[in-house]
Amino acid sequence: MSVLLWLIQLILIPLLSPLCIGIVRKIKAKFQNRTGASVLQPYRDLWKLFQKDEVISKDASWIFKFAPYFIYSITVILGASIPIFSTIFYPNLLSDILVVIYLIALGTFFLALAGMDSGSAFGGFGSSREMTVAALTEGGLMFSILTLAFAAHSTNLFVIAKNISSLSFFSFAPIILAFGAFIITMLSETSRFPFDNPATHLELTMIHEAMILEYSGKRLALIEWAAANKFLIFLSLGANLFFPWGMSLTNCLSDTLLALFLFAVKILILCVFVAVLESSIAKFRFFRLPDLLFTSFILSIISISLII
Amino acid sequence: MIKKYISDEYKIKKEGNVLSYAVPVADIVQVCNDLYFKHKLQLKLITALDDRENTGQFKIFYVFGISPENIFLLPYISLKDEEEFPSITKLIHEASSYERKIYTFFGLRPKDHPHMTQILLHENWPDKVFPLRKDFKYQTRPDYVDGVYESQKVEGEGVYEIPVGPVHAGIIEPGHFRFSVAGEKILLLKPRLGYKHKGIEKLFEVLPISDKVRLSERVSGDTSFTHSMAFCQSIEMLADIDVTERVKYLRVIFSELERLANHLNDIGFIMLDTGYSFGGSNCARLREVIMQWNERLTNSRFLRGVNMIGGIQKDIPIKLCHELLLTLKKIKHDFNEIIAVSQSSSSVINRLSGTGNVAKQVAVDHGLIGISGRSIGIKHDARIEYPYAAYNKLNFDMALEEKGDVLARWSVRIKEVSTSISILEQAILEMPSDNNILHNKNNFALRSNSYSIGIAEGWRGDIVYFVATDSKGEIARVDVRDPSFINWTILEHSVNEDIIPDFPLINKSFNLSYSGNDL
Repeated sequence: MSVLLWLIQLILIPLLSPLCIGIVRKIKAKFQNRTGASVLQPYRDLWKLFQKDEVISKDASWIFKFAPYFIYSITVILGASIPIFSTIFYPNLLSDILVVIYLIALGTFFLALAGMDSGSAFGGFGSSREMTVAALTEGGLMFSILTLAFAAHSTNLFVIAKNISSLSFFSFAPIILAFGAFIITMLSETSRFPFDNPATHLELTMIHEAMILEYSGKRLALIEWAAANKFLIFLSLGANLFFPWGMSLTNCLSDTLLALFLFAVKILILCVFVAVLESSIAKFRFFRLPDLLFTSFILSIISISLII
Repeated sequence: MIKKYISDEYKIKKEGNVLSYAVPVADIVQVCNDLYFKHKLQLKLITALDDRENTGQFKIFYVFGISPENIFLLPYISLKDEEEFPSITKLIHEASSYERKIYTFFGLRPKDHPHMTQILLHENWPDKVFPLRKDFKYQTRPDYVDGVYESQKVEGEGVYEIPVGPVHAGIIEPGHFRFSVAGEKILLLKPRLGYKHKGIEKLFEVLPISDKVRLSERVSGDTSFTHSMAFCQSIEMLADIDVTERVKYLRVIFSELERLANHLNDIGFIMLDTGYSFGGSNCARLREVIMQWNERLTNSRFLRGVNMIGGIQKDIPIKLCHELLLTLKKIKHDFNEIIAVSQSSSSVINRLSGTGNVAKQVAVDHGLIGISGRSIGIKHDARIEYPYAAYNKLNFDMALEEKGDVLARWSVRIKEVSTSISILEQAILEMPSDNNILHNKNNFALRSNSYSIGIAEGWRGDIVYFVATDSKGEIARVDVRDPSFINWTILEHSVNEDIIPDFPLINKSFNLSYSGNDL
């Protein structure tokens, strides 16, 4: 049984992440009076890209060729080490807050490196912007999860999920505050509004898309898939760390199925939230982004001081 | 009235809407100066004519418009056996591009021009080959030259150059932009155009008259109707054709439909470029309604094949008029709702406001026209200043804004959508029911050795056609002045305080034509 659970834990994120992207796109299309592509379209896109030939700049070094595999593997490892539907995996060494956050940062680092590697002006742009934003995001992200660690007296994500779900209702004020901070950093880390426009074709305004502009074929597919994984990882962190109810505490089948169902519902709600947000506001000016990220940082600090 | 503008010593020839008079080369700077600064007339065009076959001379015309009398003054100089003429750019800055164009295409050099390089033709074009001279045959394929493009450089620590284009990520026309940036801040922008140069002005001299109208529709695809209208008006002036009242109203209707479709498109795209997809997609939907009406009325979404010299080829039956009025009412309702929602979105307004500022004096010096000009309080609108077609019988105001940023250009368009709908409603209701929409004289002759100016307010700004005929009454020269030709010069001055990620938004707020500029 636990082997099966491990397997589910391992493949769930990469399996479902394209669907999440599809759902967000579908809801956005509905808001624009469009029918929109099927929610399965991201899978078809990945399949198509995997069939395609690649063009690689002759100026690109091994980093450019190697980065997509590395970034993709990181997201798979991360997907396996965060609480998704069950807390039974807690003796997992990779599930520490610091490990998870800095694995994310490592992926960002390699992506930025690959963006500059091909020598195109846009890649350099994207990388410079990504590093600016990433550096400011880190504080907010770190401290918002640290709030939970203080509340749960552990830095292991599974233990946090388990302990938070048993907290009394009244101790939730700081956690809601930290959730606000987390949402802001989530939008930044996953290149969504108001930080970045995942749907734009304007190369001069891009952040994430500018870094991957030179990729094509299989490597592009891997990068796109990794970005989708990262999106679902952040949604799962938000859903399962801040609202961890319904996660199965045992390896019994009925509990697991219920937990999977509740996970799907929570993710869906967050997808709707992201889609509504992206349909109702415009992207911010680049130099207004630090203000937003500082807000996230300060929210986290306030919630930590409330707990201590 | 005319005495006020022209000194007694010149012999004036009045034909149609044009008063032409020869001025000695030595006096032209003074004459232009007086008309421009003392009498505050608008400089509409400077163009040249290769008249060596007749008189052995090149002529250079300076077109000044007098509003609201709708008369154009054409002082001109003749150059015999010399290829230099005095430049007026030092005093009248907006003359710069015209004079450079004359140098590029006629090989006549403006003396003391502060920035004398060729425009539109690239470095692979050979020196000393001037395509608008009569001895250049239009099929000629000039030799390829290996020239190098040198753009202005900025040097300093951390300053680097970003080349963008000519091929872009979206489906837009080709143009090359070279940015010098420090971090995200734009230090210098040098646009380079001319990729769509296709020899339109030369073709105007070659094609048979019926194809000339079709050619004018293709100068700038999104302004097909107004371009052909301006051209037809200039020919009708030369042939002394009076179009019927109904034609005048129909021209107003089609031209406003064109404006409406393009403004809705731009308003939507400006919002889409900020990432505000609600406004973007809803305006795109409204634009599509207009485009489908265009197709229904004329079989062409872009209103091509509608205008003809002396009339119009498509009538609007009464039944459709009523239906169109209902559609317009619905569009007005939806549009107001969409704009109310968008304007209350602080994130959209924050992106638009203060972005892409143009300084008023810079705009005035460059002669900024059209919606870009009106967004900074430059009051020019050919529909009001040079009333053509039936515009003088309709009631409407000029849309104006003061700030000169992206928000102002967006808002001017929003106001103009409302005026366009109001003009359309008036025109449809007041249109006389006379069925004659074609000119009854099928064979018309153009006045020989004559000039005329056709002007019409396209959705970007006024479109000017200069037509000259030779001694046989054949068209010897057509100069097309799309508003983009003037307004492109302002783009590099509008990004000075901005950062790279805002450039697409600024560029979109001007939405200038590459094809109309490159010709």
